[in-house]
Amino acid sequence: MSAKTASAPIEKAARPKGRFVLNVQRAAIVLACAATFYPGLNPARISSAISTNVSLLVSCFSFDSLVANFQRVVNQGTVPGSIFTVLQVMSIICIVGVGLCVAGACMSLGNNRMRHDALKFPVIGSLLMVVSLVGMFLLANTIASLGVSSVPGYISGGYVYYVFLTVVTLLTTLVLVIQDKRRTEPLEDKPEMKEKYKLFLMFTPVLALTFVFAYLPLWGWRYAFFDYKAGGTLSADNFVGLKWFTILFQNDTTRADVIRVLTNTLAMSGLGIITSWIPMIFAVFLTQVPSKRFRRVVQTFTTVPNFLGWVVVYAVALAIFSSDGFINSFLNNYLGISSDVNYLMNGDNMWLKMLLWGLWKGVGWSAIIYISAISGIDPSLYEAAEMDGAGRWAKIWHVTIPCLLPTFFVLLLLSIANILTNGLDQYLVFSNAANSSSIEVLDLYVYNLGIGSGQIPMSTAIGMFKSVVSVALLFGANAASKKLRGESII
Amino acid sequence: MSRKKSGSFIKKSAGDVVFNVVNITVFVLFTFICIFPFYYLFINTISDNSLVAANQITLYPVGIHFDNYIALKDVSDFSNSIMVTIARTVLGTALMVIVSAFAGYLTTKREMWKRSFWYRAVVVTMYFNAGLIPWYMNMLGLGLTDNFWGYILPCLVVPYNIILVKTYIESIPSSLEESATIDGASAMQVFTKIIVPLSKPILATIAVFGAVANWNSLQDSLILMANSPELYTLQHRLWIYLNTSSNLATAMQSGGTVTAAALNTKVIKYTISMVTVIPIMLVYPFMQRYFEEGIMLGAVKG
Repeated sequence: MSAKTASAPIEKAARPKGRFVLNVQRAAIVLACAATFYPGLNPARISSAISTNVSLLVSCFSFDSLVANFQRVVNQGTVPGSIFTVLQVMSIICIVGVGLCVAGACMSLGNNRMRHDALKFPVIGSLLMVVSLVGMFLLANTIASLGVSSVPGYISGGYVYYVFLTVVTLLTTLVLVIQDKRRTEPLEDKPEMKEKYKLFLMFTPVLALTFVFAYLPLWGWRYAFFDYKAGGTLSADNFVGLKWFTILFQNDTTRADVIRVLTNTLAMSGLGIITSWIPMIFAVFLTQVPSKRFRRVVQTFTTVPNFLGWVVVYAVALAIFSSDGFINSFLNNYLGISSDVNYLMNGDNMWLKMLLWGLWKGVGWSAIIYISAISGIDPSLYEAAEMDGAGRWAKIWHVTIPCLLPTFFVLLLLSIANILTNGLDQYLVFSNAANSSSIEVLDLYVYNLGIGSGQIPMSTAIGMFKSVVSVALLFGANAASKKLRGESII
Repeated sequence: MSRKKSGSFIKKSAGDVVFNVVNITVFVLFTFICIFPFYYLFINTISDNSLVAANQITLYPVGIHFDNYIALKDVSDFSNSIMVTIARTVLGTALMVIVSAFAGYLTTKREMWKRSFWYRAVVVTMYFNAGLIPWYMNMLGLGLTDNFWGYILPCLVVPYNIILVKTYIESIPSSLEESATIDGASAMQVFTKIIVPLSKPILATIAVFGAVANWNSLQDSLILMANSPELYTLQHRLWIYLNTSSNLATAMQSGGTVTAAALNTKVIKYTISMVTVIPIMLVYPFMQRYFEEGIMLGAVKG
């Protein structure tokens, strides 16, 4: 670390010039590269009839997706298919151009020699992009001039975006070429790149995936401020500010719903927290069994349910408790009691039932962490306790349990931090007409509202609320842990 | 466990005997509750189908046959789902392990430009998420709905797994890597020749967890693939079958060789449940060690 700070000023002194222009070029190239995956910014969408799900990358290799929405018009020849073949070629040229620019941008992290060698890539690349964009413009004009109403010509936002980035790349590249020509100091013999940049470049795919799938969704929070309907667009017209948040707190029905859902959530999480000592006790008593083989068998069979999905648990529930399930079958066949009750259609005590299913699935698994903690306890503690005349219970109470409490405490804090997150699967698969009001937890409510009824803005607003509270709780739990144990949990 | 042998074992008091009997009985009961449902499902899938339909199979199978499992291949929706699920489990797990291993290794390299910043940027995503709906809108925008890659791409970078691999690699003596570097090995060679072979235990652990998560996936199928029944995962398909019998009847008719009389919805539901369960049951005993190591590693965060 000290070496790093020492080398930084030297580096800055070594290449003061051209960094700004270079960084602008890099940024433009990164944006252009990112947008090739994003259908909303596809420059090849030269007609509004082209599917909004086709990205520039897809346009390159799938003619069928390009014309998917108007296959018939193309087959009839009203709109010549050759236009779209040319469009595909233009997309390929554009992608190749972007790819060359990316290669150049990566190499620009190398030494002067490498940067000099790399300059030709963005030059050729941006020229290819210019060619493809001009081509796409001409194609859009051609389509417009055909005047087929189902396939209108169109200049998409993605096209404008790419034109902008191409111009920026071209201009910055020109500046860099001029700077390179005026260079006075001699170039190094070999193109080389510092190890730190090589490692960084190798890491960029991971960063890109993280950005796209973890950070980009945050941009979706904007839906909470618009009156958005599925398939529509966001614009100044349907901007509603904090309307959905106001409704959340002021509309009686919504508020009643939210209160009911929060009650369910807190009740089920609360029951989970109250019973979180059960795995610990399970572990304590299991380790009291003398036979090692027996312990092993119990551990194996009780952990299996944890690795089955909630749908399978639901299948088990059906097999045991439904009207043609085990319980009724047992009553009929062995006890001679005629019965065909479907216990799953009973909405009473839903909180308790969900807790029991959770325990059935999870106790054996959660116990493992305590079992290994127990096997890590120093045997001399037990020996000392025995010397003092401690029996089985005294040893459990005065040695085992105190040794397990730190683990228990961490898990407890984490479950408090996750109090609003019950998960969706369990409650979704078990919900039915009879229990829907008492089983609906926050996650399920958001799902039902957003995916089920298509109320994207409202469900986004609730999700935002939940995210913020969850992060706050996590920090709170962490602070509590730091204060009480001197260790953080995250 | 030697302490037990030296302690409570030698002189068994009456109290100890009672304790052991009660203790063991409770565990036998709980274990029974954990496995009996699967036994019950299983005997119903291999018993005479008409007896199953009449709820006659309760404790032991009658008229054992395995035709139901063979008949499943003709239920077209099901065979589709199982192919999709196998494909995503194999591909998704393999790619996730490669990405985690590589990312874990790179983040141990102190030379990397702004390493701790990038590392934190990745790890912090464990602690917040934008929520289900923004995530869905994002996937919609990326064109990953109704698209098989929607199962794979979002699951490649799992920060938690990266932490596990990083912590593990940091426990490998750095002298191994240094000597290889001195011999002229590149970062890539060090990774494939030294790091990967030495990290096999942790990679196996994240692989089994990843595979189970993929195999059991319901949510992404439900949310992303709403308009593409051909991409439903096994769990999603099973859930649909469990909830409605009409779908099942159609699916059964689509398979030509299956006579609807021989198969009934109950048997099919149970059989598909068993097919979902059996791979995990078969793999689990061999992988148990890795599963248990996995949860222990959770305690060691980096």
